[in-house]
Amino acid sequence: MEAQKNELLQKFELYGCFQCGKCTGGCPVSLKSKLNIRKLMIEVLLRENLSNMIQRDELWDCTTCKTCTLRCPRGLEPMDLLIGMRALSVEEGHIPKTIIEALEGAYKYGNPWNAAKNKRSDWANELELKVFPQGGKAANLYFVCCTAAYDTRVQNVGRSLVQCFRQIGYDFATLGNDETCCGSEIRRMGEEGLFEMLMEGNIESINKYDIRSIVTTSPHCYNTIKNDYAQDGLEVRHYTQILAEAIEGKNPFSGEMRKVITYHDPCFLGKQNGIFDEPRQILQSIPGVTFIDFDRSRENSLCCEGGGGRMWVESSDQGPRLAEIRVQDAVDMGAEILATACPFCLLTLEDAVKTTGNEEKLRVMDISEILVEVL
Amino acid sequence: MEIIVCIKRVPKTAEADLVIDKTERDIEKEGLVFDINEWDNYAVEEAILLKEKYGGTVTAISMGPEEVNETLRRALAMGADQAIRLTDPGFEGSDGYAIARVLSRAINPLAYDLVLTGVQAEDDGYGQVGPTLAELLGIRHVAIVNQIEGIENGRARVHRELEGGLDEVIDLELPAVLTIQTGINEPRYVSIIGIRKVAQKEIKVLGLQDLGMKLEEAGEPGSMTVVEKVFFPPVGEGAQMLEGTMDEISDKVIAILKEKGGVA
Amino acid sequence: MDAIFVLVEHRQGAIRDITFEMLMKGKQLCEKTGNPLTAVLLGNDVGAMAEELKDRANRVILIEDQKLENFNSEAYQQVLGNLVEQEKPSLLLMGHTAFGMDLAPGLAVQMNAPLATDCIDVMMEDDRVKATRQTYGGKLNVEVRLKPAQCSMVTLRPASFSVADYSLGGEITRVTSPLTEEIPSKRFLEYVEAAAGEVDITQTEILVSVGRGIKDPENIPMVQELADSLGAALSCSRPVVDKKWLPKDRQVGTSGKTVKPKVYIAIGISGAFQHAAGMKGSGTIIAINRDPKAPIFNIAHFGIVGDLFKIVPALKGKIGEVLA
Repeated sequence: MEAQKNELLQKFELYGCFQCGKCTGGCPVSLKSKLNIRKLMIEVLLRENLSNMIQRDELWDCTTCKTCTLRCPRGLEPMDLLIGMRALSVEEGHIPKTIIEALEGAYKYGNPWNAAKNKRSDWANELELKVFPQGGKAANLYFVCCTAAYDTRVQNVGRSLVQCFRQIGYDFATLGNDETCCGSEIRRMGEEGLFEMLMEGNIESINKYDIRSIVTTSPHCYNTIKNDYAQDGLEVRHYTQILAEAIEGKNPFSGEMRKVITYHDPCFLGKQNGIFDEPRQILQSIPGVTFIDFDRSRENSLCCEGGGGRMWVESSDQGPRLAEIRVQDAVDMGAEILATACPFCLLTLEDAVKTTGNEEKLRVMDISEILVEVL
Repeated sequence: MEIIVCIKRVPKTAEADLVIDKTERDIEKEGLVFDINEWDNYAVEEAILLKEKYGGTVTAISMGPEEVNETLRRALAMGADQAIRLTDPGFEGSDGYAIARVLSRAINPLAYDLVLTGVQAEDDGYGQVGPTLAELLGIRHVAIVNQIEGIENGRARVHRELEGGLDEVIDLELPAVLTIQTGINEPRYVSIIGIRKVAQKEIKVLGLQDLGMKLEEAGEPGSMTVVEKVFFPPVGEGAQMLEGTMDEISDKVIAILKEKGGVA
Repeated sequence: MDAIFVLVEHRQGAIRDITFEMLMKGKQLCEKTGNPLTAVLLGNDVGAMAEELKDRANRVILIEDQKLENFNSEAYQQVLGNLVEQEKPSLLLMGHTAFGMDLAPGLAVQMNAPLATDCIDVMMEDDRVKATRQTYGGKLNVEVRLKPAQCSMVTLRPASFSVADYSLGGEITRVTSPLTEEIPSKRFLEYVEAAAGEVDITQTEILVSVGRGIKDPENIPMVQELADSLGAALSCSRPVVDKKWLPKDRQVGTSGKTVKPKVYIAIGISGAFQHAAGMKGSGTIIAINRDPKAPIFNIAHFGIVGDLFKIVPALKGKIGEVLA
């Protein structure tokens, strides 16, 4: 454990932390969770033995939204320290059962949902998509995402996106059943070895079909392929960027929608990658739409609690779900549609609409689904 | 405490669509994902927990081709000290009895206090290998163990799971075979880094001759049962909708409960 | 004629259902082969059970001994090994239960008898024993042939055969127990009930599961009563736990528990993928939902489209009448 502690000290420059507390001040879960990222920075420095620390339930409360790291005036990386703590816990093996299942699913089936590998492309059965491994040729790879491939709700996002791409004449093919989990959440759950394995597998596929350009459904896949894989000569874009570009000039989505719409910034798209404008441009381009922004939007957007492996583990805290706060805010400001552009946000927000009993007042939709309604 | 744990690498078929192979005596294994049998995972964890409590060593044994090394390495990464793989063309087609016989030959010369197996395997589901092995080794056994209370003076006090939420508490003499039920513990996660750390560990390989066995003692010739054919159980498609008045629907549900749920 | 033996399973003074199921199957086999059917009852002071069983077989062999008070595989193995040697049955049936799984394999080795375990059917044709068993978690049926032998053994999966009423008017034969002393190497100590108040939803045979369609925590008792009337446990989908209407240990799904009861009744659960992943291995799924397009109907075996607030009370009332 001592060696591991020293490694953390060096890697995350913990001596550089002056305990200003900006990290915890911006942490979306700190108000309701025992997790205190500022304290964690100094505890790792001071404690002789980390073995009790890595057993704490609240380590799994972090959503890896990265606000702490982005706010650090010293340029330190508290979020990565937390992931490093998780990694110690993962290596020792005593981690929440649901996390184990997700990790083992990613290892065995290539997806954290433990769904069959050969059913990965079933969502597109009627769509006659081009598939690289089946000889399909295209300029771009559409990287679908495990959740969009298997979750019956999010499958509709993939299908909507296909319609949108076809409408704008965007040429793409998928990896079919050969696509595996991008590893974004796996890495953030602390399983670095498995992340590397998944990354190597996907890079192998990308090279095999000489793919130069990728578009993703999920901001999580987008972020990890762009920043964690960081392959030279590989262009990675989120679908909102493609669609925003396509509506400039002659808008191929000409239908009208008389609705009040607000937009929830996914952390991995907005905060972490600065994509704030494209989703808003798309929504504002729709005739009839009244677009309103949340008070807490863009850089200050409130996390939905779906990231960092939180889709597979319940938080230890007892406070209200942030997604519920988000939904209530949307209802209070008179929004009829809460738009987002992330499979995890979509699921957590839609759950929150149900738990807060706002099913009659608010619809949660992915931007691609909204566009399909105005085709 | 010298512990031997018998494990099996099985295809994970819960999510898969099975295809019957040309022999019509098995399924196509191509494209299926393999991993440690769920029950055996608990058995390995239990072995490691006992080692942590009482000291000693854990030896993992498995039967099968080279791919089985992956499963044995997993056990080593969890904390097993040694691994033995039993492999021979002559082992193919073994039923539960023949598997136990091969295992007994491998285990017999070793020093051991406890042999752990899973209650059953996910694939063939015999649920007989552990107790058969015990009889062949001439030692005690308890099947479906869901708690090991303690081990003292060469005796173990264990719980075994009966039907309907009842446990039986047994006191028995060691050495013994215990077949381990799921839920007895929380198997630890095995990280990729953990597996890499044991990648170089030697796995001892033994065949028919090494075990001093004859061809007719293993595989299909050494088995007590022979598969004649396999076929899919009859299944319906989608939900059958129950319609009618509340009264009629209720009657239909009750009929289903009686037939499928054993409701009196 | 070589008889077919059925080992009677009983616990805490009551004959287990599997016994009657095996006798039913044994009777069918005997009708075909002309062999007599024998129930073998081991225990202490179980004469009343022998009386209860004698109509179900041509003969009941009763072996009473204090040392057979509780099930002990080693004691049973000694007694049965002895009996089989004397009586030379052609087939010995046992339950694929906690008792049979502990006893059958060792006994088979001792008798050098072929054994097929966890069978859902057994056939006898021209002195050959065949059995149907299931593999891959019930996804595949396998027909196995047992090697020819004086005596074959088959363990039968509970609830594989339905039981009807019949009478063979059998007689009771008392056989002396060969046990001379207690078995010191393996001793039964006691039964332990699962702690009261603890519900393990992975262990019950019937689950009544409730989703967000229940709308209000005040409606939970209504579903609990339905579960109680069936001797079932109450489980739920994630939103119900999120709202803290039921504790976390009742949650079925990817972030909760994976369950495989015989019957799963899904009430007001849409069947989202994360929930379905935790329960689709259930034997029979009955879904009640007002949305005919709810995905739960794709994995359910039986579906009811309608208002759960009408269906649940109606069902509960009817069950009360029938099971009373």
